[in-house]
Amino acid sequence: MLERILNWRFWPLFFKELNELRRNRRLVGMMLVPPTLNLVLLGLAMNPEVTDLRLGIVDESRTAESRELVSAFTESKSFVTAGYYPSVAELSRALSMGELEAGIVIPSDFATKRTRREVAEVQFLVDSVNSNTGSIAGGYAARIIGALNEKISLNRSSIQPARAESRVSLFYNAGLQNSWFIVTGMIGMLLVMLGSLVSSAAMVKEKEVGTVEQLLMTPAGSGEIILAKMAPIFLLLSLDIGLSAAVGSFVFGVPIRGSFGLLFIAGMLCVLSGIGIGTIIATFTRSQQQAQLMSFFVNPPLSMLSGATTPIEAMPDWMQPLTNLNPVKHFAVLARGVMLKGVGLDVLYPNFLALLVFTAVLVGVSAWRFRKQLN
Amino acid sequence: MKRIIAQTRKELTQFSRDRLTVVLALILPLILMWLIGSSISLTVSDLPVVIQDWDQTPASRRYIDTIRASLTFRIVSLPVGAAPESALDKAEARAAIIIPADFEDNLKRGRESEVQWLIDGTDANTANIMRNNAAMISQAFNRQNGSSGAPAIDAQLRFWFNPGHDSSQYIGPAVFGLVLALFPPLLAALAMSREGEQKTILQVYVASIHAHEYLLGKILAYMIVAVAEWVLTLALAIPIFGLWFKGDPTPFLISSFLYLFCNVCFGAMAGASIPNQAAAIQAVQNVCFLLSFLLSGFVFPLSNIPSWLRWISDLVPARYFIEVSRDVFVRGGGWPATWHVPILLAVLSAVFLFKGWMSLRKMQIEA
Repeated sequence: MLERILNWRFWPLFFKELNELRRNRRLVGMMLVPPTLNLVLLGLAMNPEVTDLRLGIVDESRTAESRELVSAFTESKSFVTAGYYPSVAELSRALSMGELEAGIVIPSDFATKRTRREVAEVQFLVDSVNSNTGSIAGGYAARIIGALNEKISLNRSSIQPARAESRVSLFYNAGLQNSWFIVTGMIGMLLVMLGSLVSSAAMVKEKEVGTVEQLLMTPAGSGEIILAKMAPIFLLLSLDIGLSAAVGSFVFGVPIRGSFGLLFIAGMLCVLSGIGIGTIIATFTRSQQQAQLMSFFVNPPLSMLSGATTPIEAMPDWMQPLTNLNPVKHFAVLARGVMLKGVGLDVLYPNFLALLVFTAVLVGVSAWRFRKQLN
Repeated sequence: MKRIIAQTRKELTQFSRDRLTVVLALILPLILMWLIGSSISLTVSDLPVVIQDWDQTPASRRYIDTIRASLTFRIVSLPVGAAPESALDKAEARAAIIIPADFEDNLKRGRESEVQWLIDGTDANTANIMRNNAAMISQAFNRQNGSSGAPAIDAQLRFWFNPGHDSSQYIGPAVFGLVLALFPPLLAALAMSREGEQKTILQVYVASIHAHEYLLGKILAYMIVAVAEWVLTLALAIPIFGLWFKGDPTPFLISSFLYLFCNVCFGAMAGASIPNQAAAIQAVQNVCFLLSFLLSGFVFPLSNIPSWLRWISDLVPARYFIEVSRDVFVRGGGWPATWHVPILLAVLSAVFLFKGWMSLRKMQIEA
């Protein structure tokens, strides 16, 4: 048995491919540099955090009460004072020029109403061109004013009012680091895309220089040819799983709370589906340039419909179920489960199975297409 | 001038013969814009939450009703006997709310009553939204309960420019700029590097056409393609994102023209310096798309990017164009808010054009 394995025709072919890959510096560079660079860049740049919002102030009251309100805003990290404006018109002009993200207008009767214990009204203007920043800024403002109101009502009466209070505990990512979300989502995307890029380049090159015929003349069967072609790419790209986990942990401090083995196996499935996609693309094209242009039709849906960088819940309702057809999505769920939540296969098995099925289908179709083309 | 036009016509004929490229140029921008525009958004609603109510009293049910009334959350049922944390583990819920057994008792006795919110922080931005909402729900509950009386200060929140928090108003104008940052330079780069790869540049060398005429002819041809793409994408963007001109459209029109020119010049420059089509595609794809995606303020505010990285965004044309297109479609500030954009785009175009001309001359000498 062992002898049969050692004498298998597959091995010479495998080492030939491995050597070819090793000598192709550009291809090896393509496997190492982009994943690292992409993870670092995306992790740093894709940050929707809302802090230090520029707040413009129109204070027509100019009293201790109005200054108390302003300082409640500036004490929080969410807002910084960008300037005082003499009139509402000036403030609106600054808002529409994009110089401010928010503005507060305190009317002249603010202090009088406060002393009379009437409801003192203030206007809070938010630039919500960026809908996310806008609604978070509005939430901050409501919380700050709510807290101030509670403080005032405590001062007014000595009896503690009966209140319900939300005590929030943040799970899995207590520091709310958005890079953790991005990194765990991007790993799968990079693996699939690199797999497809490298494998389609390697396959098409054989076609371009016309060496497929030479391969066919060898005693190896078409299955063995494909296997020998895919195996070295697969092995090298599997190293990228470790590389990206290392980049995540050293640069952004992303933990791996669950089993690294599970993550690695899921990553290998991602690489395999990428190789499958790349091979399918290669069978439809004649040149590297065409293969790359073809991938413009495949990669955007893979990356956009994955929830890797933005929440799936923010997509339109009809689009959300479509994400289940995407291996990148299932890997993102797996990676977040293993790395951030520390859960295992007992919880993640639906995603793992889905990934397994996609990989099997993609590899199967690609082998079938390739074999058809060889014959 | 005649030679430039002849070159342009030759280029357009060649372009229209390649089916894959025509589809790529005219259909793919539309698909991509629609796909990105509808899938990228941070505005979440209907987040599933589970509730464990240990109290089961009218007060706790009123609290649950307050949660139900908010658009952010959708209550899903927790299987009997399951711990609420396990719903977070399984990603069946994004938050778990635990109402303690003495909730109503405490309220009746005038004490503070704590409701525990366990929030899944995996997605930091969504977690932040949930945290804000958790605080607001308790405030709303207290107001309804009448326990806190009339508030001392009443803040009237006004959301300007985009009162409905409609994220397509934010993403739409930007994704329009993003696809125009990818396809025009890609096509120009392909056309340019093809000459270098297939050595057809030599034929140009022996023809009586100067390098600058040749370059301008190519740029003009791909400008025409780019304008066609601009018209198509704009025609689609207006209905699907519900956009319309809020102010003076002239800054937008002038900036659009310069922006397309700038991108085509960049593509020509990249193509002239990389005489290999596959490598040129990769270069344009990485530089144009990645930079325009990440460092243009497309979804994520530029102010969050570390300053050592942020200066790059000053060189990204999409950044300026997105400013203008958001201004004209959402804010409506007009010339006073956007006068600098056409100037900067013109400067960037001049730089790319000059670099392209230099590399083309080098390519001719080398070939």
